[in-house]
Amino acid sequence: MKINSLFLDFLKFFPTKVAYAHCDIPCGIYDPHMAQMASHTVIRMTQMLNDLTAEKDIPFEERKKIIHQIARLTKVKEEHAELVKHEIRVLWADYFKEEHLKKYPDLHSLIFKILKLASKARQEINMDAANELLENVQKMAEIFFETKGLKSVRVKSPYPTGGEIVLQDVRRPQ
Amino acid sequence: MLLSIFKISGHSMEPAIRDGQNVFVSGISYLFSKPKAGDIVAFRKNEKVFVKRIAKINNDNYFVRGDNREDSLDSRKIGWINRKEILGKVIFKISNY
Repeated sequence: MKINSLFLDFLKFFPTKVAYAHCDIPCGIYDPHMAQMASHTVIRMTQMLNDLTAEKDIPFEERKKIIHQIARLTKVKEEHAELVKHEIRVLWADYFKEEHLKKYPDLHSLIFKILKLASKARQEINMDAANELLENVQKMAEIFFETKGLKSVRVKSPYPTGGEIVLQDVRRPQ
Repeated sequence: MLLSIFKISGHSMEPAIRDGQNVFVSGISYLFSKPKAGDIVAFRKNEKVFVKRIAKINNDNYFVRGDNREDSLDSRKIGWINRKEILGKVIFKISNY
């Protein structure tokens, strides 16, 4: 028992790498839409946080309402920035393949940039980071459609954030 | 690679290897002999390291699959792997480390 414990302690000095034994069902269903929607939500929450105003020396009940609203907006911003990261990680790990990396050599750095921007937009009330996040997610969405041999189009988003979303262009011959 | 420790992420090799277990992978095992069907091997594919069991061999190409076949991402999806992509043989696993 003691020897076993010593052996395990000794092993902790060895560097450990990750080996994947994936159990993902290879269903082939991937879409960058969720990441875009979540990016828009991060922008919207940032807008709403920036829009909050309060007079100096407001009554406690008013202050409580504002703090409550900040908490709610921040929570949703946190969740959706994390959702962007989750969706991007799935596309990166499960969808994009070596041949895509050969054709789009900047794909790794684009993914890395998106993950860092999502963290920044999550940590701060930063409209520039939130907008840049969406822009880079959309660049990745365009690459995604290209890898599938599909045309994509940027259309005006139906969200209060304005801006655009990237969709498969069904009007053009594929 | 002579000897490395890998932490397993995923369930495709259950029950032989569980998610979160650490395994020793030896590159020495295949210095003097070729990988055999039934061996659990670590290999590099798409810039990531995977652990699977060899099911079929065709010259220097190996068809690998997970033991948990219903849900495993394996050669049915990733294709045959080449001998050059094999890093080594899983020689033993460690449960709590």
